Amino acid sequence: MRRKKQLLFATYEDFDKARDAVAELKMLDLKEMIVENIELYSPIEHPEVEEMLGHFNQPIQRFTFFGAITGTLCAFLLVAAAAQAMFTVQPQGGKPVIPLPTDIVIMYEGTILFGVLSTIIAFFIYAGLPRRLKKHYNQKVSEDHIGIEVQMRPEHMEKVRTALQSNGALEIREVTQ
Amino acid sequence: MALKRMLENWSRLRQQDYYAEEPYMWGMAIDLNKCIGCGACVTACYAENNLPVVGKERCGSGHSMHWMRIERYWTEPEGTPEIEQEEASDFPERGAHYLPMMCQQCNHAPCEPVCPVAATYHSPDGLNTQVYNRCVGSRYCANNCPYKVRYFNFFEFWKDLPHPLEMQLNPDLSVRDKGVMEKCTFCVQRIRAAKDAAEDAGHPEHVEDGTLMTACQQGCPTQAIVFGNLKDPESKVKKSWASHQVELDRYEQDKSEDVRGYRVLEELNTESCVMYLDRVRDTEA
Amino acid sequence: MKDIEWARINKDVLASLESPRAAFWIVLAVCIALVLCGVAAEVYQYKHGLGVALMDKPHYWQLYISNFVFWIGMSHSGTLLSAILLLTKADWRKPIYRFAEAMTLFSILTAAIFPVIHLGRVWYMYWVLPYPNQHTIWPNFRSPLLWDAAAITTYALSSILFLYVGMIPDLAICRDNAKGWRKKLYTALSVGWMGRATEWMAFRKTYVLIACFLVPLAVSVHSIVASDFAMSIMPDWHITSFPPYFVAGALYSGCAAIITLFVMLRYIFKFEAYMTTEIMDKTAKLTFAIAMVWNFLNLGEYASIWYSNDMFEKEVLIQKFIGPYAPVVWGMLLCAMVAPFAMAFEKFRHNMWAMFWLSLVLQLGMWLERFQIVSPPLASNHEPWTWAVVWPGTVQLTLTAASFGWFTMLFLIFCKIFPSVSMYEVKEMVFHRRHASSRDEMEDIGKIKDEVMRSEGGLA
Repeated sequence: MRRKKQLLFATYEDFDKARDAVAELKMLDLKEMIVENIELYSPIEHPEVEEMLGHFNQPIQRFTFFGAITGTLCAFLLVAAAAQAMFTVQPQGGKPVIPLPTDIVIMYEGTILFGVLSTIIAFFIYAGLPRRLKKHYNQKVSEDHIGIEVQMRPEHMEKVRTALQSNGALEIREVTQ
Repeated sequence: MALKRMLENWSRLRQQDYYAEEPYMWGMAIDLNKCIGCGACVTACYAENNLPVVGKERCGSGHSMHWMRIERYWTEPEGTPEIEQEEASDFPERGAHYLPMMCQQCNHAPCEPVCPVAATYHSPDGLNTQVYNRCVGSRYCANNCPYKVRYFNFFEFWKDLPHPLEMQLNPDLSVRDKGVMEKCTFCVQRIRAAKDAAEDAGHPEHVEDGTLMTACQQGCPTQAIVFGNLKDPESKVKKSWASHQVELDRYEQDKSEDVRGYRVLEELNTESCVMYLDRVRDTEA
Repeated sequence: MKDIEWARINKDVLASLESPRAAFWIVLAVCIALVLCGVAAEVYQYKHGLGVALMDKPHYWQLYISNFVFWIGMSHSGTLLSAILLLTKADWRKPIYRFAEAMTLFSILTAAIFPVIHLGRVWYMYWVLPYPNQHTIWPNFRSPLLWDAAAITTYALSSILFLYVGMIPDLAICRDNAKGWRKKLYTALSVGWMGRATEWMAFRKTYVLIACFLVPLAVSVHSIVASDFAMSIMPDWHITSFPPYFVAGALYSGCAAIITLFVMLRYIFKFEAYMTTEIMDKTAKLTFAIAMVWNFLNLGEYASIWYSNDMFEKEVLIQKFIGPYAPVVWGMLLCAMVAPFAMAFEKFRHNMWAMFWLSLVLQLGMWLERFQIVSPPLASNHEPWTWAVVWPGTVQLTLTAASFGWFTMLFLIFCKIFPSVSMYEVKEMVFHRRHASSRDEMEDIGKIKDEVMRSEGGLA
C-alpha cells in the first residue's frame, strides 16, 4: 500500500527568510535524516535555489540538440523527395533536379523549427507541466511571497514545523495526500 | 518510391542538363531583315491560341494578352552621330525597327525555378511549359522574365466573348481563367499532333522538318520565321543557326564580323532557343 | 524604479486588463472599420480578378509585396529586443519586451495575409504547402517564395511559443486574480504553473535556448525575404547586399514601431511607472545605431551599383532619383535617412510625444523604402519596350490601410486580454536592482568602517 504523504507548506514574506529556513531544514536533515523533499515556490526566478536545493537534473539542451539534427535531416529528405516526387521529375531553369544550395535554406529553417519544438516539449516534461494546481497552493506566492513545501514522515512533523516557524513563517498549512 | 529513385539516380539527379539525350530541341530563327512589322504573326497567334482580345481601354492599362508582340524601336544603328539620331526619331518611317518578341523558351529559364508550385518546368523537348491548372498566380515568373513575355489573366477575359464567337475557339487547347499566367508555347498543341503523326508513320523520334509549323510562322507573309528541331542536323533552323555561328550553351558567341545572328539578352545566360538575325541598314540612305 | 512594491506591480498590470482610457475603444473602433473596408476590397478583387488592383505588365508585383516586406520587417525588433537583450542580460528590456514580442507575432500575422491576397488564384493557396496529395505534385523548393513560406512558418511558430512560454508565469498571476471566463482561459493557458523551483529552472533554461534559436532565425527570415528579390534576375533586385540591407531595415522599422507602441501603451494603459524615459532613451539610442547601419548599407548599395557600371542597373538607379518615382525615393531619404538624426539629441529622446511622431516618420520612410525596392526596377527593366509607370490603385491602398487596422486591432485585443507588461520580470528587475543597491550600501558601510579602522590605527 502506498504510504500517505505528509506535507507542510509555509509561506515567507521575503526570499532571505525562506533561504534561512531551507538552510535550517538542511542542517536538521543532516543530523537526523527526516526531510524527504523540499520544494520552493517563488514569484520570480532565484538562480540561488540550485545551491540550496541541490542540482536539478534537466537535460533540456539534449532534446534541443537532437531535435535540431532531426530537423535538418527531415528537411533535407522532404526537399529532395519533393524535387523528384512520385512520377514527375521536374528539371527547371537548367538546374539539377536536387539542387543543394537551395535545399540548405530549407534545412536551416527545419533545424530551427524542430529545435524549438523539441525544446518546448522538453520544457513541459522537465517542468512537470501541465498539471492541476495543488490544493494547498497559496495565491500569495504568485504575488510577493515565498513558499516552502516540505515532505517528511508524520512523526517528524513537529520538528520541521518548529524549524519553519522559527524563521518567521507567516502561515503554515498542514497537508496530507 | 521517391526516396528509392533518389538513391538509385543520385548522380543523374545532380546533373545539370537532365534532358541532354532527348531527340528534340525546338528552336526558332527570326530574320529581322525580312520582318516588315505587319503583325500577321500576332493575329495568327491570337487565332490559334485562344488569346483574349481585351479592348482599347485595357490594352492601354497594360492588360493586353498578346503572346507575340511586334516591338518598335527608333534607334539608329551604331555609328550614327547623336544629332542625326535625334532627327531620325522625327521620321519614324525612316528608322523604325521591328522585333517580334515572344517567349524565348530559354533552356536556363529564370522563370522556372522561382515558381512556388512548380507550375512551370522544362519539358524533354526543350520547351518552357506552363501548366495552367497548377498555376496559383504568384506572378514571380513574370517578374523574373527578362523579356517580359509572360502574360497574366488579370480579369475573366473569356466572359467578355460575345455569343457566338466562342464557337471559333481552338478546341485543341484550353481557355484560361482569371489568375493564371500564360505565355507562348511554340504552339505545343501542333507539336504534340506532329509527334503523334510521326509515331503513327513509324519513325517515333523524328518529325520531318517542314511538316510542323507554328501559327506565327504560317502567318508570316515574308517567311521571316523559321521553326524546327535544333537537334536535327538537316533542319532549316539548325542550318540557319550554324551558318550564323550561334550555338547553344554559350553566353557570348564567338563569331566572325559579317554574320548577323544573335540571341536577345544573351549575356544574362538564359540560353534562349530563339535566334534573331540583325537587320542590315544603309546608314547613308 | 527599484521602489515599486511587488503587489503594486500586480495591481497596475492587472488593471490594464480592466480599465483602459477611452482612447482604447476609439482606436479599436477605427481599426475594426478599416478591417471591414479591407474585407470589402478583397471580396471585390476576388470576384473580378487582380486587374482591379491596377497592377499590370510589367508591374506584376506592387503594394502587396512591399507591404509584406514592411510587416515582416516590423516583426524583427520584437525578437531583437527580447532575444538579444536577454542573452546580453540587458535588464531594461524587461518592462517592454512583452508587447514587443506581441508586436512580432501580430506583424507576422499581418504579413502572412499579403502573399495570400496577392495570389491570382487564392482558392488554390494550399498548393504551396508540402502535403501528400492526389496530384502527386509537390511544391517547388527551388523557389524563394517557398523559402519564405518555410521561414515564416518557422518564425511564426517559434515566436508564438517564445511569447507563450515567457508569459506562463504571468498567466498564473492572472489566473490567481481572475473571475469568470477569464479564470477559465488563464487556468487552461497557465498549465498549472505554481512557481516551483523545478519549473523556474526548466523555464530559464528553455527561455535562453529558444532565444539562441530566435536570433539566427530572425536574421535568416529577412534574408530570405530579401532573396525574393536578390535571387531574381531583375536589375536592382539582383543585389548581393540585399539580405543584410533588409535585415538592418527590418530592425530599423521594427524599433520605430516599438517606440510608437511604447508611447501608445504608456498612455492608454497608464504604464508611466514602468515605461520610463530611461527605457525610452535606451530604445532610441538603439534605433539610432540601427538607423546608421541601414544608412551605410543603403549608400553602399548605390555606390556599388554606380561603380559596377552595369548598364541596366545604373539606368534603374538614375530613374529612381530623377524618374517618375523620384518623390518616393527622396521622401524615403528624408524620412529614414535624415530624420533619425533628431535622436542624437538627449532632449528629443526624453520627449515622449516627440518620439512618437518621429517614430511615425521613420516608419513612413521605411514603408516608402519598401515601395521603392519593388516598383522602380519593374518600371525600367531589361526590356525597354515594356517600360511603364503604374501607381497603386484604390483597392491596393484600401488593403494597405486595412492591414494597419488589422495589426492594431489584434494588438489592442491582445493587450486587453493578456498582460502587456511582464509582471514577473519587472519584479525580477526590481528585486535585482534593490539587491544591487543594498549591496552597494553594504560596501559603502564596509569602506567607511575600513577607513575608520585605519584612521583609528593611525591615531593609536
